[in-house]
Amino acid sequence: MSLDIDDLKERFLNQEFDAQTYSVSTESIVDYARACGEVAPRYTDPEDPDFQAPPTFASSFQAGRRLPDDFPPLPGLGMDAGKAVSPKRPIRPGVELTGRSHVHDIYTKSGRSGRMVFIVIRMELYDPAGSQLATADTSVVIRERPAS
Amino acid sequence: MTVATLDDVEFGAQLPVFEPDTSMTNVRRFAVAAGWNRPRFTDHEAARAEGLPGALVPGIMSQGFLAAMIHRWAPPAEIINVDTVFRAPVVVDERYSIAGVVTDIDDQDGCVEIDLTVTNAAGETRVFGTARVRLPKA
Amino acid sequence: MILDLHAHSIKSDDGRAKVRNYCQWIRSRSIPIDGFVLTEHRQFDAESDYRELADEFELTILKGSEVETEYGHVLVFGVTDALRAAFDFSNIHLPLAEVLEACERHGAVAAPCHPGRKRVGMSAHLETLGVPEGVRIVETCNGGSRDGEDAVAQAMAERYGYLGIGGSDAHIVSHIGRCATRFPAPVNTEQELVDALKAGQFEAVTFKA
Repeated sequence: MSLDIDDLKERFLNQEFDAQTYSVSTESIVDYARACGEVAPRYTDPEDPDFQAPPTFASSFQAGRRLPDDFPPLPGLGMDAGKAVSPKRPIRPGVELTGRSHVHDIYTKSGRSGRMVFIVIRMELYDPAGSQLATADTSVVIRERPAS
Repeated sequence: MTVATLDDVEFGAQLPVFEPDTSMTNVRRFAVAAGWNRPRFTDHEAARAEGLPGALVPGIMSQGFLAAMIHRWAPPAEIINVDTVFRAPVVVDERYSIAGVVTDIDDQDGCVEIDLTVTNAAGETRVFGTARVRLPKA
Repeated sequence: MILDLHAHSIKSDDGRAKVRNYCQWIRSRSIPIDGFVLTEHRQFDAESDYRELADEFELTILKGSEVETEYGHVLVFGVTDALRAAFDFSNIHLPLAEVLEACERHGAVAAPCHPGRKRVGMSAHLETLGVPEGVRIVETCNGGSRDGEDAVAQAMAERYGYLGIGGSDAHIVSHIGRCATRFPAPVNTEQELVDALKAGQFEAVTFKA
């Protein structure tokens, strides 16, 4: 079973399909930072006056739904094909954040294992005042299994 | 040598190579912290049952490694953008090294662009990407 | 004259290199190439004009494409408006025979790239699809090859008498020029490239460590 890409683009591109709230704890910031190898006190020391999440943290927020509700079932295993993050303002612990997601792009190419379908989901992250803190793109690749 | 200002950077400069901790212990720590505590990242057997070569280092962790490498090289760096393409799996408990090289300096904007690659022990690229980073001017 | 015959810019979906940065890199690092060909995925970038950049950096910058067929990916050199009308460059299921025939008809050259790579390389399909008619040139040195893929490509080329070209398959700036193609005479235009390829006067070279 393969996806009709043109139909999907017409139906889903640039339409918000999810909004979630998140909050990040001090402990998770420190663990995240240390696990990634960060050494700067602003990421690893909660006592630092500028303590904040590392700039790639915005990529870790997951939407409540991976895809819009009426998106057709994926014909294969979905894997991470790439991430892009553009941090704009610091993410501080305990602040309630809102992440709004939309399908940003859909395209296909052929790869080592057959046709691959790429779906790019963009999440825009905001603080309670409505200031944008980051944009995080996730590219998911689905390797279509050949028809049996 | 760490970088403090834009003047400290030369075109083509290589960032110190970073060998990230991809051990299961560290990946599990990350997975919990990031809210990505799923078997494909934390359990080799479970990952293989999904058809994967072993537990995977999450893509966002690879991205985090890249940012950490940049900060180690230039502590005052403000990351404007990190864009990564995942070419092949990065497997937990295997050794990788991360290289970065400066490929553009924008004096007007105070930014540098950096090519980033994550390679395995055989020298094969698993992840590549670019980062745009703002540095203070002298 | 040495040209990298296979490179991608930000015009490709997975390309992350700006062409100006390729030029700066080549000159500042003394990469031993005289220019490169931008072979964007599944498209021909008709709108970009790199002549000023080429003059500024004294490099040859040409444009081609990388298209997708049942035999894997194929580089196309000498793309014209007529060739673009002959088949859909964005189709990932192009018949190789159709691409080869259209190139022949419109004075272009098609060369399967990274032929040693699984699925997207020609050698993976010979057993099931047979040896295709009309292939003369394949990419025997690819800068992104791994796991002995170039060796597979070279063995295939030797077995079937194909000529070999080289290209970096660069998607980021610092990978330009890892592999390239040496020509005995100057190649400064797409037509001169096509003529040199058709004349068989070239060899693949690698600068990988």
